[in-house]
Amino acid sequence: MEPMDTPSNDPTDERAARQEWRHAHDRTSDLQAAGNPTDPTMVPPVATADAEPAGTQAAPPAASTATPAAAQPTERIAKSMTEHPAHVPNPSDLVLAIRGLRVAFSGNEILHGVDIDAPRGAVVALVGPSGCGKTTLLRSINRLTELAPTASINGEIQLDGQNVYDRGTDLNLLRRRIGMVFQQPNPFPMTIFDNVAFAMREQAKTRPSRSSLMPAVQDVLQRAGLWDEVKDNLDRNALSLSGGQQQRLCIARTLAANPEVILMDEPCSALDPRSTARIEELIIQLAGSLTVVIVTHNLAQAKRIGDYAAYLLNGDVIEQGLARKVFEDPDQQSTRDFVSGMFG
Amino acid sequence: MPTRLSDRVGVATAYAAGGVLIIAVTVIMSWLVWQGIGTISWDFLTTGPAPGSLEQGVAGGILPALVGTLIVIIFGMLVAIPLGLGVAIFLTEYRQPSWLAKGTDTAIDLIFGVPSVVFALFGLAIFSQGWLAWLSNPVGDAGMATAQSFFCASLMMALIGLPPVVRSSQAAIIGVPNQQREASYALGKGRLTTIRRIVVPGARPGIATGIVLGIGRIAGDTAIVWILLGGAVLQSPPDGWYLPWNLVDFLRSEGSTLTTYIYFSSPAGEGNSPGPAYGAAFVLMVVILFVNIALIRLSRRKIGKR
Ligand SMILES: Nc1ncnc2c1ncn2[C@@H]1O[C@H](COP(=O)(O)OP(=O)(O)OP(=O)(O)O)[C@@H](O)[C@H]1O
Ligand SMILES: [Mg+2]
Repeated sequence: MEPMDTPSNDPTDERAARQEWRHAHDRTSDLQAAGNPTDPTMVPPVATADAEPAGTQAAPPAASTATPAAAQPTERIAKSMTEHPAHVPNPSDLVLAIRGLRVAFSGNEILHGVDIDAPRGAVVALVGPSGCGKTTLLRSINRLTELAPTASINGEIQLDGQNVYDRGTDLNLLRRRIGMVFQQPNPFPMTIFDNVAFAMREQAKTRPSRSSLMPAVQDVLQRAGLWDEVKDNLDRNALSLSGGQQQRLCIARTLAANPEVILMDEPCSALDPRSTARIEELIIQLAGSLTVVIVTHNLAQAKRIGDYAAYLLNGDVIEQGLARKVFEDPDQQSTRDFVSGMFG
Repeated sequence: MPTRLSDRVGVATAYAAGGVLIIAVTVIMSWLVWQGIGTISWDFLTTGPAPGSLEQGVAGGILPALVGTLIVIIFGMLVAIPLGLGVAIFLTEYRQPSWLAKGTDTAIDLIFGVPSVVFALFGLAIFSQGWLAWLSNPVGDAGMATAQSFFCASLMMALIGLPPVVRSSQAAIIGVPNQQREASYALGKGRLTTIRRIVVPGARPGIATGIVLGIGRIAGDTAIVWILLGGAVLQSPPDGWYLPWNLVDFLRSEGSTLTTYIYFSSPAGEGNSPGPAYGAAFVLMVVILFVNIALIRLSRRKIGKR
């Protein structure tokens, strides 16, 4: 996938750096091999995806769901997918491949060798009981976990075939390629405009002017579905927005860095149902052009928006694969208990 | 009203403490205004003390003292603010190596606790070295320096202005939520950018408070002025001192500040003219109040329009 073609003012050297990083160690073949892991506890998407031949315009995974309860949202996904035909994730084209990830804090191991696949352009939902390590897993992908001095991290996380934990990794470039939206909306105490422009500024030597940033800011706010609400108030304090608007602003702010993957940690848990629905719509629209890895406590939400899902328990991946399969016909008894427990 | 006796005693004590403080401040302020305002005139603010003017009943100007106070504040804080902010950032955001952080912590506490006269004395020993004569003026051919100048005084003032800047900024920086830092890192910003664009702006009100406290310390100091500035109250500045090309020469010369002027002209000093003393005290108070309000206002500048 080429970087999003937004009129952002990324200096060309950054674009070049991204290209170089992607192609320097072209390990696509390695990666495809890695897509068929030897770990028997894992259900590789490749194995479960034969119902959806890659590359065809067949109905997307979630669209053929039979459960009546899920009919409404899946229709919406189907609609959005016909509007955005790019959104047909190819399960063997992995943008993220997590391999044997172990994370410990002060010697207390939280993740015990996690393998996760994220096909390009998909929405991957991570579910599991509280404290099982979902946040830790997510924060290890963009290397925020290591901000805690007690953390020790082992294993590989491949982004486009290259391990993000390689020694030469440009941490700041990595974090622009893998954006993150947090559980609590956390816009900066600045104007709406400055929040969005934050990621665009300072890359260049000279500070870009407001008018030169405006087209990119508008584009990003439009993609985050916030433009119409704020276009007359770009110079207002971002903290004066509602919680749902703040969270969409945080998504816009993340999009401004032009990421290939966005990590979302329970982005709707602090929001009311209306705002939640808006964010879900937004995620569905964004998927395809980029990959979304979302942690959620809300299984109905995971079902509505997830193409793929992984169930974590006590730091292990119990089951993963197509969301429909994981939620409706899981292989593992433990997954079945979790899924049915949540639905009563 | 709380019902339990101990609660009521506690509330009464708190009210009483607050009341006493308000009364004390009001009495002092009104006394100063009442005594000082009569002395204030355009002449008082814009002329120097003519010889003999510190006799009782004879009006004398405070211009050199007022300018002196402003100069030690400006040049002292010009050093203290960047240094103090740097130290505060080091102590909060880095703290590595830890022995250096612990040592710095202790040093700040020491500077905060030790009276300025001690530093002034030390400054006299250092600045009187011949190789530092460019800070003041050489004494004869002995390879010594007078060690008394605005430069010498301002440098020592920077030292006593430093601790409040550090401590106040430190507290404010710690108060910036970690979420904000992480959001910035997650957008691909490095540590320095995050500090510059997120942490320091977020800590601005606390930093301003530290600057105000530092200015208060400097403006109120007398020991450093006597020892390192000469406390030359009766001496008028050289002609044309205010011209830019005379600045360096002026800063190498002796001078006075409002505090030394107040002491000198008070009944306790040699001048024995309480009128100008109260007038100068009033001006000092107004200057400090003005700086406080301006800085706090600036630091709490609203984000965006409306
Ligand atoms: N910085 C840290 N230091 C020490 N322990 C930590 C740290 N971060 C997380 N942990 C521990 O890791 C475990 C997993 O936490 P994590 O936040 O990843 O769980 P989670 O699945 O996101 O839970 P929830 O659904 O409640 O958000 C917890 O036991 C937590 O105490
Ligand atoms: Mg969590």
